Amino acid sequence: MNIVVCVKQVPDTWAERKLRSEDKTLDRESVDGVINELDEYAIEESLRIKEAHDGEVTVLTMGPEKAAESIRKALSMGADKAVHLVDDALHGSDVLQTSYAMAQVLRKIGFDVVILGSESTDARMGALAAMLAERLGVAQLSLANKVEIDGGTIRTQRVADYGFDRVEASLPAVVSVVEKINEPRYPSFKGIMAAKKKPVDKLGVADADIDAAKVGLTGAATEVVDFVAAPPREKGTIVKDEGDGGQKVAEFLASKKFI
Amino acid sequence: MRFALSAERLAFAASLHDLLAAADTPAVARGFAAGDYEPGRTLWKRLAELGVAALTVPERWGGLDAGPVDVVVAFEELGHHAVPGPVVESAAAAIVLAESGVTTWLTDLARGEVMASVALPPHVPYALDASVAAPVLAVEHDALSRVDATGGARSAAMSSVDPARRLFTVTGGEVLARGEEVRRAAAHAFELGALATAAQMLGAGRALLEMATGHAKARVQFGRPVGSFQAVKHRLADVYVALELARPLLFGAAIAVADRSEAAARDVSAAKVACAEAAYRAARAALQVHGAVGYTRECDLGLWLTKVRALMSAWGTGTVHRARVRAALAGREVRR
Repeated sequence: MNIVVCVKQVPDTWAERKLRSEDKTLDRESVDGVINELDEYAIEESLRIKEAHDGEVTVLTMGPEKAAESIRKALSMGADKAVHLVDDALHGSDVLQTSYAMAQVLRKIGFDVVILGSESTDARMGALAAMLAERLGVAQLSLANKVEIDGGTIRTQRVADYGFDRVEASLPAVVSVVEKINEPRYPSFKGIMAAKKKPVDKLGVADADIDAAKVGLTGAATEVVDFVAAPPREKGTIVKDEGDGGQKVAEFLASKKFI
Repeated sequence: MRFALSAERLAFAASLHDLLAAADTPAVARGFAAGDYEPGRTLWKRLAELGVAALTVPERWGGLDAGPVDVVVAFEELGHHAVPGPVVESAAAAIVLAESGVTTWLTDLARGEVMASVALPPHVPYALDASVAAPVLAVEHDALSRVDATGGARSAAMSSVDPARRLFTVTGGEVLARGEEVRRAAAHAFELGALATAAQMLGAGRALLEMATGHAKARVQFGRPVGSFQAVKHRLADVYVALELARPLLFGAAIAVADRSEAAARDVSAAKVACAEAAYRAARAALQVHGAVGYTRECDLGLWLTKVRALMSAWGTGTVHRARVRAALAGREVRR
């Protein structure tokens, strides 16, 4: 089975994240990059599918040179090889363009299952899986907290407000998984050493038959018009309880329309 | 000499850190102190899945045959998170067994199925945590013996300054191997054990500094964080400098052991002394910066304070290691 897991490098969730003033895109240089935490569940799930059904796990990443670190981590967890789509022309692409570019790569490398995390912790669109499925003309099974593959059939549990739906489709398919579907493994000494030798195929837009005019900041369907830094946290109010503390609390809650 | 660690070693350390940070090691250490060893065994199995238990085991027995630098990288993280149990002893026991030609337990050790303990008198006179270890080994002169509870050779435990550690006297037992190779294996295992202990102290010192700086930033006195006072800043900066100066000695010693350099014993001893002093300085400063809360049992700080104090004299006291450095400088043969 040919399993492709899509992995995005994002700025460390705990770091202060900034936009670049010159083109209003995310500043990826000034902060440490890490694997999008939600993608780690996708990597783990892809490895479990491989262990249960045999096959090969390919990591697919679109991002700058620096994203190679995240690819290395995914390989050290146990993925077999990687494809890194890296090209200056892709800088500033929005989710629509990203889905076009990644769909082109997926057509080129082929797949039985494509697995993604539910969203990225930086842009938080959560739409890439659906867009990929649409562009590739295959089934979409989103927000899965359980994945089973049986021959050419894939069954998932899709989490919903009321519980879950059982979803079934024929392969090939695109799946997005939620956190808590599994516990991602930690890279082992052997895994880390083996990752050094695993092949990483670097592709530019031309290699993947991507029309450069359809990607990048200028052609993006969405535009960042303006941004301001988040205001610093205001100092809290300290209320001294002089017998009327309860009333003060109630007034505060009422002023915020909680009661 | 280039001391910078490879991307792979940094990734290994990061992976261990991630696992241990999520594993609530203070609770595991407290369990160990109370005689509840199961969480400790489970944690060791998880660490073994990442390869920690297999580092010093030869490949043909399911090990990784990794070098002393990898051992230092791993044990710094174990110390950083105050992992309890005979972890250094298991790594050293694997060396003693493999190099003495006794292969019985090597596969189980590599998998983390068992933990081992070992006494290497005169400088490692007791077997640590023999109550969780099987096999418990001892090397006297050129004889490697297995000593265990069933043999009646194990006496009652002695308490350590670190409540999570228990020391056992070992005598007699069944001789597993004898000869010059046993003597050499024990000497090699001693260097590696001292090195791994030094690495644990460096990691523990780092944890103490992190806890102290965290507290100094959060604790407000006289209307500002205590960390803004120069006296506190300087104290913590001195700890940082001491740890950073101990680090190259530690990795230099690891490389010397890997290369089987003639200066290996001297370098290991220098590293052990430097790491012990740096970690002790970190412990004193952390306790002072924490104030009264640092003394309480509820505060996790105490787990690291007592661990550092115990490790300072484990695998050779400061006096022993200073004497080895002195002997090396005077051109005398350095003995275990």
